[in-house]
Amino acid sequence: MISEQEIKNIAKLAHLKIKDEEIDKLRNDFSSILDYVNKLGEVDVSQISETANLSNFSNVERDDIPSRFDKELLIDSMPKQRNGYLEVKKVLYND
Amino acid sequence: MINLQNLTIKEVHEHLKNKDFSSSEITKAYLENIKIKDPDIKAYISITEESALLQASKVDEKIASNASIGLLEGVPCSIKDNIMIKGERCTAASKFLENYRAIYDATVIEKLKDCGSVFLGKTNLDEFAMGGSCEKSGFFPTRNPHDLERVPGGSSGGSAASVAGDLCVYSLGSDTGGSVRQPAAFCGVVGLKPTYGTVSRYGLIAFASSLDQIGPMARTVEDCEIVFDAIKGADKKDSTSTDSVFSHERKDKIRIGVPKEYFGEGLNEEVKQAINNVISVLGKDGVEIVDITLPHTEYALACYYIIAPSEASANLARFDGLRYGKQGEIGNVGSINDLYLENRTNGFGAEVRKRIMLGTYTLSSGYYDAYYKKALKVRTLVRKDFENAFKDVDFIIGPTHPSLPFKIGEMEDDPLAMYLADIYTVSVNLAGLPGISIPCGKSKNNLPIGIQVIAPAFQERALFEIGKMIENKLR
Repeated sequence: MISEQEIKNIAKLAHLKIKDEEIDKLRNDFSSILDYVNKLGEVDVSQISETANLSNFSNVERDDIPSRFDKELLIDSMPKQRNGYLEVKKVLYND
Repeated sequence: MINLQNLTIKEVHEHLKNKDFSSSEITKAYLENIKIKDPDIKAYISITEESALLQASKVDEKIASNASIGLLEGVPCSIKDNIMIKGERCTAASKFLENYRAIYDATVIEKLKDCGSVFLGKTNLDEFAMGGSCEKSGFFPTRNPHDLERVPGGSSGGSAASVAGDLCVYSLGSDTGGSVRQPAAFCGVVGLKPTYGTVSRYGLIAFASSLDQIGPMARTVEDCEIVFDAIKGADKKDSTSTDSVFSHERKDKIRIGVPKEYFGEGLNEEVKQAINNVISVLGKDGVEIVDITLPHTEYALACYYIIAPSEASANLARFDGLRYGKQGEIGNVGSINDLYLENRTNGFGAEVRKRIMLGTYTLSSGYYDAYYKKALKVRTLVRKDFENAFKDVDFIIGPTHPSLPFKIGEMEDDPLAMYLADIYTVSVNLAGLPGISIPCGKSKNNLPIGIQVIAPAFQERALFEIGKMIENKLR
């Protein structure tokens, strides 16, 4: 089973915080899913190439003509704004 | 009073043309029906009454001036709430985006607007389209109009329920691993997952970019075809989109493959009977039925549950809660990382957090080769299964989903079982093929059952033809 420490490490990589009481359930869920997907180990893929994308195109280009968004709507869509600027919380480093 | 029961696009169009009722009248009738029935069904997250009535009145002016109108013009529809309509809320059923208003139209919306469609509102889904029951919506679960105790399926459950509940004529959903076809089956409507690339994804909130595809949900195959024709086509804003939908040559003898892997353990007996009934009806009608095998079916699910969360973890990394979404509760923070942590943890629901973590794990250093890379290779084998099968047959047929619509809360304790139930739908996304779910009868308890037909890539025309044939035989 996946360890408590591993769950914590993954959460950190994913920029997520997990509460202590969530850890056991996550360990269980993760383990049952990982046990299941581990069955891919049975498949011999030594001669098989990867399919990352189904698109047959590469280097799709278009003219670089900017299309502008509606400024008012854009500002409105921000969680917080002041005088048309995006407002975020103050970040003060402690070191 | 207009009888809204089972109205199709074609029927509404004829009525509008004949001036039996106006677009404003039918729009108001649907809005009224939503007010009466949606407090129970809960298909909609938001209602866009004002813009719907405005658009309807424009169409009415046109009709009054005796100008001709298009098939979709003035016909009311609903849109899954992960597709953007400029100026309207777009939440992906996540608390994270609870107050977000779209600043542009998705390409499919632009196209429907050009056709004169009337948008009644935005429909519920599992948060960020991650789920198969609509129970994982960040706001509330949607209920199945055929039995309010049961789920409508997911993730496009609100869209399916809005069509089945006569709360709109048609809807747009999105399908990453079955999210259009499975709720269509659960709600007794038709749902199409088009070939990857035929419909632009611009303006669809991304879940897993190599699998996502927008598709229509409606009462009939013909309605799905009308909507598909309206939304398809290459788009400069989606580099994977293309114009190549093939025209269809009618064949004298159709050959349909029945994969033995789609009738194995776990398939509900009543579902199995309904599917076998269709197969025997088609067989009697001169269609050649062939037993085939898709040997990597059992690995397709494992493959999907690595690839989809991996792509989701990358797509959802953009949600930092600064530019859009929701900022966490705490005051001043000690580092920018703490700020992200706070915002993301508050914004995402448990299922979404789990999938982000799963994807982060399978992409992380040390596990990337064993999980992600391996899954991409197995994906090639899944594709090849279909390529081989289509050398011999024109279509592949089987159940859309192994079970009947289940009760709300019933699957809560068994998340893996929920995942496993996607077995007949995920391969189609992995291979990028078109698939359609068509109602094919009901269970003893009157619950809808769906049959899935799969065609080679870009063969939507052929799919519509066989779909209509199945509809006719069952009528």
